Amino acid sequence: MRSLINRLAPLLAAIASCLAMPGGAGAQEPLRVFAAASLKNALDAVAAGFTQASGTQVALSYGATSTLARQIENGAPADVFVSADEDWMDYLEQRQALKAASRRGIVGNALVLIAPTGAAARLTVTPGLDWLALLGPGGRLAIADPRAVPAGKYARAALEKLGAWAALEPRLVRTENVRVALQFVARAEVPFGIVYASDQHAEQRTLTVATFDAGLHPRIVYPAAVIATSRHAKSGDFVETLQSGKARDIFLSLGFQPLPSWNKAAPE
Amino acid sequence: MTGLLQPLSEGEWTIILLSLKVALVATLASLPFGIAVAYVLSRKRFAGLWLIDALVHLPLVLPPVVTGYALLMLFGRKGALGQALESCCGVVFAFRWSGAALAAAVMAFPLLVRAIRLSFDAIDVRLEEASATLGAGPFWRFLTVTLPLAWPGILGGIIIGFAKSLGEFGATITFVASIPGETETLPLAIYAQTQIPGGEAVAFRLTMVAVVIAFAAIAASQLLRDYTKRGHSLP
Repeated sequence: MRSLINRLAPLLAAIASCLAMPGGAGAQEPLRVFAAASLKNALDAVAAGFTQASGTQVALSYGATSTLARQIENGAPADVFVSADEDWMDYLEQRQALKAASRRGIVGNALVLIAPTGAAARLTVTPGLDWLALLGPGGRLAIADPRAVPAGKYARAALEKLGAWAALEPRLVRTENVRVALQFVARAEVPFGIVYASDQHAEQRTLTVATFDAGLHPRIVYPAAVIATSRHAKSGDFVETLQSGKARDIFLSLGFQPLPSWNKAAPE
Repeated sequence: MTGLLQPLSEGEWTIILLSLKVALVATLASLPFGIAVAYVLSRKRFAGLWLIDALVHLPLVLPPVVTGYALLMLFGRKGALGQALESCCGVVFAFRWSGAALAAAVMAFPLLVRAIRLSFDAIDVRLEEASATLGAGPFWRFLTVTLPLAWPGILGGIIIGFAKSLGEFGATITFVASIPGETETLPLAIYAQTQIPGGEAVAFRLTMVAVVIAFAAIAASQLLRDYTKRGHSLP
């Protein structure tokens, strides 16, 4: 009995410290990072390096940017937020939910047209492209929901600039996040889809048919910021680490794109 | 929140009418199967019965996303059943409103069957036997004795199936995505609005509509039940 209590003691202490959490300086507490789901592979690797270097554990929660932003707005205990677009960061900034001047652009991405592997040849996206012929009779184009999901907003902007939006709108499959669009193409449920280059990179059953010119849509930037309520001493360090040369290498190896600001020396 | 009291827009009406169509079709199309399965589960005893029972209840246990993904693999354009149905009968579920109805029907099926089965269980078998002594065959017996006696349970099954169909989200969005006018039902539209900065007002309006429909469905079932309790029979 006694040994059982001895064994359980650390667990009980851990539970007690969790319950008593708010406020304390807490070097032992993990850094809580909320991040867009599309960053999962990259941030897992960056966080592992951060833990190794600093000794601080990182608890990562992935989800849709919109959902995470609403949770943060409503007091979720996050220290750092990495968003998939600027709109939701603006939303939080306007509500004073971010620590002043802590916001940084972390990495970029490109928009690509994808098809199931072996199903289509490479092409160039130009204003004259006959999309309906490309899709074929009954074929649909999978994109993330253009009203809500960042990848869908960028896709809509590009298609509008190409003058193809009106023709394509009734032929769209709108998905609740960009990875579902990727899945629909990978499973060949639809002949084409528009996703991020990094998404395509993660799915071998798809191939990139064309890359949309960066001038066709607003610049794709993943911003990170420290949450205003964060008391964690390492919050700022983690945002710094996200901009380090090591982190950039990880991002690039996973299909993300550099930002123009990367030409300046990386903070280490 | 100024937009709360405006009349519903055309886009919102589309969503509401589509939701009603999907839920009605899902409920009515699965009703005959629901009655048959409930009858088998209630009256028949054979070796593999537990398997049918378990299969029927599977959508209740599995995460809806899994059910939706299974539907995509089975009934998608590249799915085994999806391809067979398309080539033999021209029926396509993928990214159509019929796919949303299929997803809703599958998710609501366990609830529908449960309600109907309970009322079959409660019927005094001697009433059926009595009608047999008066010369009624099995099918006629089922139609004129069993079914009318089970009516309250069947009605309950319809209501709960309809309600579940109306609220189905996970399986639908996984199987047929969210296409306005085709597969974007009330829950999908409400979810999409909560994902847009400033979309709360529209989300709230649509939620109110869902609440009104739910109350109307419950009220209708109460009226029907009272009507039949007073001794009226239904056609």
